[in-house]
Amino acid sequence: MKVVVRAFARFREVIGDVNTLDIPEGSGIQDLLIALAARSGESRDLLFDEEGMIRDNIIVMLNRRRLARTAFALTVLSEEDEVAIYPPVAGG
Amino acid sequence: MLNEKEAKRYSRQIASIGEEGQERLKSAHVVLAGAGGLGCPAAAYLCAAGVGRLTIIDPDQVELTNLNRQILHWEKDIGRHKVISVREKLEAMNRGVTIEDLCETVTMQNAPELTGQASLIIDALDNFPARYALNQAALQNGIPCVHGAVCGFDGHVTTVIPGRTACLQCIFPDPPGGSDIPVIGTTAGIIGLLQAHEAIKLITGIGTVLENRLLIWDGRDSSVTIMHLDRDPECSVCGNNSYYARRTGETQ
Repeated sequence: MKVVVRAFARFREVIGDVNTLDIPEGSGIQDLLIALAARSGESRDLLFDEEGMIRDNIIVMLNRRRLARTAFALTVLSEEDEVAIYPPVAGG
Repeated sequence: MLNEKEAKRYSRQIASIGEEGQERLKSAHVVLAGAGGLGCPAAAYLCAAGVGRLTIIDPDQVELTNLNRQILHWEKDIGRHKVISVREKLEAMNRGVTIEDLCETVTMQNAPELTGQASLIIDALDNFPARYALNQAALQNGIPCVHGAVCGFDGHVTTVIPGRTACLQCIFPDPPGGSDIPVIGTTAGIIGLLQAHEAIKLITGIGTVLENRLLIWDGRDSSVTIMHLDRDPECSVCGNNSYYARRTGETQ
């Protein structure tokens, strides 16, 4: 199935703006992030820490609504879902 | 009540917000935390708009590397306290606005007192520890807080309304790292102005603010994306088991 990935800020620089990804039916947020991480070492380092855990400060939004971290494991993606990933920016 | 001079000075915006809106601006007290890339444009426009009282908090002194974006600090100000530099410019801009300067770092300890008298807080800080402190103080005092942040060509804005919206901790439970964050001056200008714009809407009650919405600005292609937010019932700051919720008896 195809899902749309939108990456912002630093993630966009590394992953690209809008990507359509073909991932297996039943995939979840973690599966999608693994598929993105597989594209380059830089992507992997941005998305996962040394222990292979999704980095704490990644904000994930499904169909333009923020997903709580506790909802990552419970979320099953559907065809044409839009997943946005955003690294919080801090400067002022 | 507005005097004759004020009615003339603000006539072009009174045409949009009415005399009542202008009077609301005049009686508002905005506490602006941060006199840097976001704080300078926000302060300038709120001062020009005739906000009655503006308190500016920042511990830093002006450095050469600030000048690409912190547009109220000029070459002559290098080495001076930012709050003094900003105050001087704002007082020259609009004598009708009361400007207060506080040369302090925002901390968990002092934030409630620094913001207690505000009708509205603007988070124009440059680091998350201070932003979290300001967020908690805003919740404790029940004061709306307009949050903005930038990096490079990117930025975001949201308005936190205590008891109604996701708080900063709900949205960003873990702080991003990094120091000496790159900033294109215009990015800070755009985000700082959006913060001032949110403030004007909140004060006058006109329009809708970015409640439970995160506006993400992508400056590389000048696009805006709105993401919807929800309060996190498990939030350590405003969630159902937090000190704040127990104190106010709020649950969701």
